[in-house]
Amino acid sequence: MLAASCAALLVLAPGCGCTSRPAGTTGGAGGGTLIYAQPEDPATLDPINTDIAEAVHVITNLFDTLVTYDDKTTELAPALAERWEHTEDGLAWTFHLRRGVMFHDGTPLDSQAVKVSLERLILPEHPLVFDKARPYQSSYNMIRAIETPDEHTVVLKLHQPSAILLVNLAMFPASILSPAALAKHGAGFAEHPVGTGPFQFVKWVRDQQLVTAAFDQHWRGRPKIDNIVWVPVKENATRVQRLARGEVHVAENLTPIEMDSLAKNPRLVVQEELGMNVAYLTMQMEKPPLDNPKVRRAIYMAIDKQALIQVGYGGHAEAAVTMVPPAMWGHVGELDVPPFDPAGGKKLLAEAAAEGGFALPLELTLAVMNQARPYLQQPAAIAGYMKDALREIGIEATVVQRDVNQHFEALMGGRHELGLAGWNSDNSDPDNFLYALLDPDNISDAGNNLSRYNSPRFHELMLAGRQELDVDKRLAIYREAQQLVAQDLPVVPLVHTKLRAAHARELKGFHLHPTGLIRLRTAYFEASP
Amino acid sequence: MIGYLLRRVLHALLTLVVAVALVFIAMRALPGNPLLARFGQHPDAKQMEQLKREYGWDQPVVVQLGQFFWRIVTTGDLGRSIARTNVSVTRELRQRIPATIELTGAALLLAIPLGVAAGSAAAVWRNRWPDRLAMAASLVGVSIPVFFLGIVLRSVLTGLPTSQRLPPWVLDFEPLTGLYLLDTLLRGRLDLFGLAAEHLLLPAVVLSTVPMAVIARITRSSMLEVLSADFIRTARAKGAGLWRVVLRHALPGAAVPVTNIAGLQIGLLLSGAVLTETVFDWPGLGQYLANAVVRDKDYVAVQAASIVIAAMFVSLNLVLDVVYVWLDPRIRLR
Repeated sequence: MLAASCAALLVLAPGCGCTSRPAGTTGGAGGGTLIYAQPEDPATLDPINTDIAEAVHVITNLFDTLVTYDDKTTELAPALAERWEHTEDGLAWTFHLRRGVMFHDGTPLDSQAVKVSLERLILPEHPLVFDKARPYQSSYNMIRAIETPDEHTVVLKLHQPSAILLVNLAMFPASILSPAALAKHGAGFAEHPVGTGPFQFVKWVRDQQLVTAAFDQHWRGRPKIDNIVWVPVKENATRVQRLARGEVHVAENLTPIEMDSLAKNPRLVVQEELGMNVAYLTMQMEKPPLDNPKVRRAIYMAIDKQALIQVGYGGHAEAAVTMVPPAMWGHVGELDVPPFDPAGGKKLLAEAAAEGGFALPLELTLAVMNQARPYLQQPAAIAGYMKDALREIGIEATVVQRDVNQHFEALMGGRHELGLAGWNSDNSDPDNFLYALLDPDNISDAGNNLSRYNSPRFHELMLAGRQELDVDKRLAIYREAQQLVAQDLPVVPLVHTKLRAAHARELKGFHLHPTGLIRLRTAYFEASP
Repeated sequence: MIGYLLRRVLHALLTLVVAVALVFIAMRALPGNPLLARFGQHPDAKQMEQLKREYGWDQPVVVQLGQFFWRIVTTGDLGRSIARTNVSVTRELRQRIPATIELTGAALLLAIPLGVAAGSAAAVWRNRWPDRLAMAASLVGVSIPVFFLGIVLRSVLTGLPTSQRLPPWVLDFEPLTGLYLLDTLLRGRLDLFGLAAEHLLLPAVVLSTVPMAVIARITRSSMLEVLSADFIRTARAKGAGLWRVVLRHALPGAAVPVTNIAGLQIGLLLSGAVLTETVFDWPGLGQYLANAVVRDKDYVAVQAASIVIAAMFVSLNLVLDVVYVWLDPRIRLR
C-alpha cells in the first residue's frame, strides 16, 4: 500500500527528483548562498532580549559592537569604536567612534545611536524597549550614565571601576542598533533588525527560512558570500542527512558519533576548536550530607574524567581541574585536587557516614537535562556513567531527567542534590565563570551558583577582581579563587568540550571562534575545479 | 433541520469551551515556567517577577481563565506569544494552518481512495491473497508509530527531501494562500511546484498510513456485510457484472460507516500531524503546538493552537452529521 501511495503522489508531482540542485553554490568564488542549519529558529533578533545560541549566531552577523574579538583569538579589537581610554580612577571611559559607518537603512552611525542602544540595555524603563526580558541586563549594571559630548564620542560613566566593561561591550547584547529603525518598526524591530553588521536582514518566514544578505557598505568591506539562509532543522539525524546530501553547508550541535561519521565524508570538513565552556557536577551544599567536605571529596574521587570523555564525548574533550577553561586567560592548570581513586573515595565516604550518622549506600538524586548542550552532548550517557561511578564508592544515585529549562529552574532553586550542569563563556573573562557560577551573590531562585557555595573569602576575591584594572593583579586574585574552590570542592569540574562544526569542503574562511560566536564575514566558496 | 443544526452548533460550542478550559488549566498545572524560554541560563529574578505580574500569573487560575475567555469574546484576540514577545498568535496561526491543511489534505487524498480500493478488493476476494495482503498491510499501517515510519522512510528513500516545504535556496517565492502546491501554480512557478510536491511526498505518505489502514479495514467489513445482502444477490442474479455491482450497488451502501470513520480520521490526522510535522520540520500547526508545549511552554500559543484544533475537530463532526443525513435519509433528525 505504501508503494502504491508513493506512486499516487508522484503522479501529482511532475518533475519529481530532477531538481536537486546542489544547495547555494551558484556563481564562482566570491558569491553564492550559504545555507546554515540550526536546531531551532530564533525567537527574536533583538540583541537585548535573548540568550539562545541560534539567535545569537544570526545577531552576531547583523550587528557590530563598539569593541569586538579578534577574528581568531579572544583578544579584544576595535570595532565601531576606533579607540578608547579611561580616566585614572577607571570611572569614565571615552570611546571614539569610527567615522563613515552606515547602518543597513542608510543612516549614519553616531554617538546618539550608541547611547540609545546601550540605554535600552541598562535603563529599568525605556520607551524603545519592547520586551522587558533582558537576560544580560545585570552584565552592564556598572554603567551609571552615557554621555555624548559630540557626534563621534561616547563617554560611559561607571558606578565603580570595572575590569569587565570592555569584554561585556564586546558581547552581542551591546550591539549597536539603528535608532531610526527602532522608531520605525517599534515592537516589530525584533523581526526587522537593522544594524551595521556585515550582513543585512532580508526576510524571515518563521520556522522556515531566515534570509540575510551581504551589506555592500560594511566598514570592513563587503563580505564575499552573497546571502546566508538560516534554516531550522530540528533533528540531528536530519541535519546530518541534509549536510551529507549537500542541501545545507554548515551544521553544528551534533553528537560526537555523528560528527565522526561526517568527518569521514570526503565532501565535508569537521572543524574542531577548544571551546570556552565547562561541564560540571553541582553538589547542593545546603543539603546534608553534601555539606560535609568529606562526602564531596569522596564524590570527586569517584569520577574518572578520562573515562567520561570517552563515554560522553567520544574523546573530543579535555579533563577539567577548574571551572575556568584552558582556552581562557586566568586558567590555573596546576591545582591540588583529589585524584581519581574510587577505593579511597569509598573509604572516605564510609568515614563520613560513621561520623555523620547516615547509612550506606547513600541515596542521592542526580538531576540531568533531556536535551543535549554543547558542554553536555549526551546527557543520558553521561548521567549513566556518573551513576555507575558513584555506585563504586557506595552512592546509589537516582537519575532525574527534566526538560532543559525546567532542569535549570530546579537547580537554581536548589531543589537537587547532585546535578549535571555547564556553562558557555559569555565574554571570555574568568569572572564570567567564577563569579557567575560560584559567588554567593548568585544564590537565589534565579542564580547560577547551583551548589550554593557560600564562601565570604571567595566573595571578597570576586569583588576585588571585578574592580581591579591591573591584569597581573587580577590574575593573582583569580589564582587564589581557583585554589579556594579546589580546596572547598563545591563542584566537580568535569570537562571542557571541543566546539565542532561540520561544513561543506568548498566553504572556506569560516573559523570556529573560541567564544562560540559564528562569524561569517570572512567565509567564501572556493570555485570547484 | 434548522432546529437540529442549532442544537448541534450549541453542543459543539460547549465542547469547545470545555476543551479549551482543560488545556488552559493543564498548561498551568504542568511544571515549568514560560519565562525561562526567554531568559535561558541568564534569568533575572526581579525582571521575571515583574513580568509574571504583568501577565497576571500571580492571580488564581479561575480568574485567569475568566479573563482569557472574556478577552476572546469581547475582542476576538487570541493574544500575543510569550516566547516570541509581541508577535500575535493569530498571525502565527494564519501562517501555519495552510501548511497543515496541505499536508493533511494530501494525506487524505492518499488514504481515502487507496484505503477504499484496498478494502473493497479485500472484500471481493475474501480470504484470498488480495484480502490477506491488504489486511496484513493495514495491520502494519495501524500499528507502526508515525514517527518511527517517518524515520525509517527518511533513511530508506534517500532521494526524497526530508525537511521543510521548499529547498532553502529558493529565495524569491512569495506564497499567496499558504498552500504551496496551489501558490506555485498561481505564481506560474512550475519549477517550484515540482519541488513543493517532492517535499510534500514523504510527510504525506507517512501521515496517510494510519487512516488508510483504518479505512481499508472498515471498508472491508462494511462491504462484506453489503455484499451478502439480498439486493446484491438479486443484482448478480439479474446478470449485472461483478464490478458494476461492487461500484454501483455495494459501495454506496457501505459508504455511511466509511464516511463516519474517514471523518474521525481527519480529526486524528491533526494530532498525527504533531509527530509528522516534527519529524519532517513541516512548519504547520502540529509543529507549532509541539514547540509551544515542549520547548517554550508558551501558554498563549498552546491555548490558541488548541482552540483552532478543537474548533476544526468540532466543526468537522458537525459537517459529518449533516453528511450522514444526506447520505442516508433513514437517519432521523432528532
